[in-house]
Amino acid sequence: MALQAASTTTDPPARATTPRRFRGERHLLPYLFIAPFFLVFGVFGLYPLLQTFWVSLHDWDRLAGAGEWVGLENFGRLLEDSDFYTATFNTLSIFVLSTAPQLLAALGVAWLLDRHLRAQSVWRALVLVPQYVSVVAVALVFSQLFGRDFGIVNWVLEGTGLIGDPVDWTADTWSSHLAISFMVMWRWTGYNALIYLAAMQAVPRDQYESAQIDGAGRLLTFRKVTLPAIRPTIVFTVVISTIGGLQLFAEPFLFDQQGNAEGGAEHQFQTLTLMLYKYGFINNDAGYASAVSWVLFLVIAVVAAVNFLLARRSERG
Amino acid sequence: MAVTTPPRVPAPGRGAAVRRGVPRTVPKRGPGRLDKAGPVAYALLAAITAASVFPLYWSVVVASHDDNSVLAGSTPPLVPGGHLVENLQRVFELSAFWQALGNSFVVAGTTAVSNVLLSSLAGFAFAKLRFRGRNPLLVCVVVTVMVPTQLGIIPLYMLVTDMGLYGKLSALIVPALVSAVGVFWMRQAVEENIPDELVEAARMDGAGLLRTYWHVVVPGVRTTAAVLAMFTFMFAWNDYFWPLIALPPENGTVQIALNQLAAGYYTDYTLMLAGVVVSVLPVLAAFTLLARRIVSGVMAGAVKG
Amino acid sequence: MGPTRARRTAAALAAATALLALCACGSGSDAADGRLTLTVATFSDFGYKPLIEEYERTHPGIDVKERISQFDQHHNQLSTQIASGSGAADVVAIEEGYLPKFRAVKDKFTNLADHGALDREDEYLDWKWEQGTLGTPGFVMGYGTDVGSLAICYRKDLFEKAGLPTDRAEVGKLWPTWDAYFATGERFRSRVGDKAWFDSSGNIFTAMMNQTEYGFFDARDQYVGDTNPKVREFFMASAQATADEQSANLQPFSQQWNAGIKQGRMATMTCPAWMTGQIATAAGDAGAGKWDIAAVPGGGGNWGGSFLTVPKQSKHAKEAAELADFLTSAAAQKKIFTGPVGALPSLVPVLEDPEVRGTTSEYFNDAPTGQLFASSARGLGPNYRGTKDQQARIPFGNALQLVEQGKADPEEAWDKALDEADKNLR
Repeated sequence: MALQAASTTTDPPARATTPRRFRGERHLLPYLFIAPFFLVFGVFGLYPLLQTFWVSLHDWDRLAGAGEWVGLENFGRLLEDSDFYTATFNTLSIFVLSTAPQLLAALGVAWLLDRHLRAQSVWRALVLVPQYVSVVAVALVFSQLFGRDFGIVNWVLEGTGLIGDPVDWTADTWSSHLAISFMVMWRWTGYNALIYLAAMQAVPRDQYESAQIDGAGRLLTFRKVTLPAIRPTIVFTVVISTIGGLQLFAEPFLFDQQGNAEGGAEHQFQTLTLMLYKYGFINNDAGYASAVSWVLFLVIAVVAAVNFLLARRSERG
Repeated sequence: MAVTTPPRVPAPGRGAAVRRGVPRTVPKRGPGRLDKAGPVAYALLAAITAASVFPLYWSVVVASHDDNSVLAGSTPPLVPGGHLVENLQRVFELSAFWQALGNSFVVAGTTAVSNVLLSSLAGFAFAKLRFRGRNPLLVCVVVTVMVPTQLGIIPLYMLVTDMGLYGKLSALIVPALVSAVGVFWMRQAVEENIPDELVEAARMDGAGLLRTYWHVVVPGVRTTAAVLAMFTFMFAWNDYFWPLIALPPENGTVQIALNQLAAGYYTDYTLMLAGVVVSVLPVLAAFTLLARRIVSGVMAGAVKG
Repeated sequence: MGPTRARRTAAALAAATALLALCACGSGSDAADGRLTLTVATFSDFGYKPLIEEYERTHPGIDVKERISQFDQHHNQLSTQIASGSGAADVVAIEEGYLPKFRAVKDKFTNLADHGALDREDEYLDWKWEQGTLGTPGFVMGYGTDVGSLAICYRKDLFEKAGLPTDRAEVGKLWPTWDAYFATGERFRSRVGDKAWFDSSGNIFTAMMNQTEYGFFDARDQYVGDTNPKVREFFMASAQATADEQSANLQPFSQQWNAGIKQGRMATMTCPAWMTGQIATAAGDAGAGKWDIAAVPGGGGNWGGSFLTVPKQSKHAKEAAELADFLTSAAAQKKIFTGPVGALPSLVPVLEDPEVRGTTSEYFNDAPTGQLFASSARGLGPNYRGTKDQQARIPFGNALQLVEQGKADPEEAWDKALDEADKNLR
């Protein structure tokens, strides 16, 4: 369906314009066309990133400005800071907890949607609803749902006898990570499901038919035909989730009602981005915050590299 | 980051491997195939839909009661009360929500339009024009797709302040005028949807590059452009980190205004969740009207490049 | 075909231009018709709503917008706005604990002395005035709003249930010291097991810290949280009481806290004057008459109280200074105290006003709030605050929370607090 839509747009654009003098290609024009991107990226993307490194080598107060050169001291301090390890762990843990089940669930939903359904488009639209809700709204609503004393989650869990005492979701590492991951999952599962659905529908029909002839059941067909065919799309969603998931900010920031980016009394859900915000914009220690920035950058690069290796393997496999 | 050639990026267009050899129509699925939905599938889908919609329903329920006591009862609120309209009115009375909605619209709208225009312009150049340094420059674009520019936020803040943009909507707009993803996407779209002959024909007819861009390229990549516009709009609309830093609360975006409602020593949750409802409603309304297009847009984004 | 295309192009360009134009002027809020908009930024309900309405009535042509933010965010954003040179409200409240943080950038604030502030010096409580001038002669950074004279609010019905006296004078006699207060808590808990004694160890600790002149920092702005015996004494006392299950473990100002007040989950709360308004809002009509107010253990103390400042970046400094003057005037402070917010005035004539002295609070069982709060206000002194007071406060608050969550005993929490404070203050 998507592809049909795409195909209609290649309407013949060659309309009969009155022949005019051939102007010739200006050599400058192509550069002008690409200039806006390089200008914007250079000024607002690359420069700040490089400047971050420069700042991280100084004792730099955000309000007072550059202080003295301290070399790698900020990085040394970071390596000795237990909060940094906590934040790194939290970032990775929340990332894994939110991404893995989310993508699995999305596969399941896509699989359900990839069949003859009545009111097909309604189902698809409904699955996408969480995507329309902004991150802030999600965080505010779920913080209430996960409330210790009056949250609906505890009410349900207590009602079904799964827990005896109400869970203080913000208090522990596991519970806060679960709650935050749940927010991410809720918002993104439907979206990824539609992406998978599109990929599944692009799988040629004859592959299914030959599987059918071989007598393969529904699950086996899914495993043997669908999954390998949509593997590149899965890799794509993993990469996209990585970049977003490792920079998680709004959910953990708003989950804590204090609004001070501590991420709980023991920083049990302080992500690296939250730590960056705390030092950069609350304590105004721009030098230290910039060091956090660069380390986060490295973490993302490493995870992205792992993704690339996986992507390559999936290409060969 | 070990990227050497553009196609290495596992962009959405990876599905293209499947698609290229295949005619541009979805294989039709005949009836009687193994994937006909049974009652179990419907039940599962209903459950998933319920989970998708429940938090919104619950927000409406809380927003329709008259005070916080609704949240402090022995059972959570599940039935709407009669104060929804009143609370929605209070949102607009007590906070600068209209202004915030306007701000968000301006920021998201401008960046969506500029991203489409500037990305397709650059995409056109990369796909169809010959100029020196094209390939290395293209590799640059592709590599920057992966760069999390958000991490330069502290110098970005300083830069924006030095430029005198702090507190202005342009602080949000200017850095987001065009993105690497957009350029990369539009390049793919131009390459795949616009045959070289078409560009040549236009040139033969005497059209200059700009005319060719506007009359040949732009119509040809409409679908991708719409998807790009939608994603850019959504991204700008939902962004929280940067507006929180770059804008003062009274001239904020919807996300900031929403957060403001939750602030103060005493939080009025009926008001806060009424704010959530207000922030979701316009998006939801627009998206319900366009649901079919958006669903296909998201799906097209997945398969297309 | 051609003309249509051209028109469409033109329309698209026009739309884009319009959008850009819109954003170019999106931030300037002054309407062209000569009306002036002033923004007042605070971090909780200061009770300004009726006063603003009055001001707008008497000053046609001026619109006043009120903006309320979360406490820490409000002050953090103010630092950003001061550093950026734009974005701050015209009148900004700064809480006394945060005031020293802005000492270093005081030249970014309008000297209210230039707008006639010095005339008001005699009205103010000496120490409150002193705080607002940052000890710089001839400079006035902010007009004092309120002071936070301490008391204890208690649930009369729960006291009765526990067989404790309920008369406020006798209740006050139960706890001349904090030790006695915690001992009374033990007695209470042994009889009413399902209710806590106080709301949050953080609030108890803050109250105690507010009764001492020097807390986390000494007079030279050096951090002494680890060596000042008072800090340890207060921390351990509140932590121990929490370990003894006297705390309801409600994070201050959270939803649970508000709901806990409504449900009466604890028998007492530390109660600076402005807290009475919080309690009345949170507990609602159903709580009316159940609460009463008694003296605080350990003598008087001041918790909170703010200043209204005018950042220099305000384009209407003169009008903003007038508004700040109005909002802190004797008439305004009196109205706030006798109104629902109940913040205690910082002006001597108001504190001595017979009507203010005679104020009772119907909600709190007709407690003589005028007498309770106003009479003790004159005896109060300031607590010294370091430049980085807030950066020290947070780790200690976190550590107490660990005790509330049962994750650390008082000693462990203390060690943790010291470690974290060291890190946070680097």
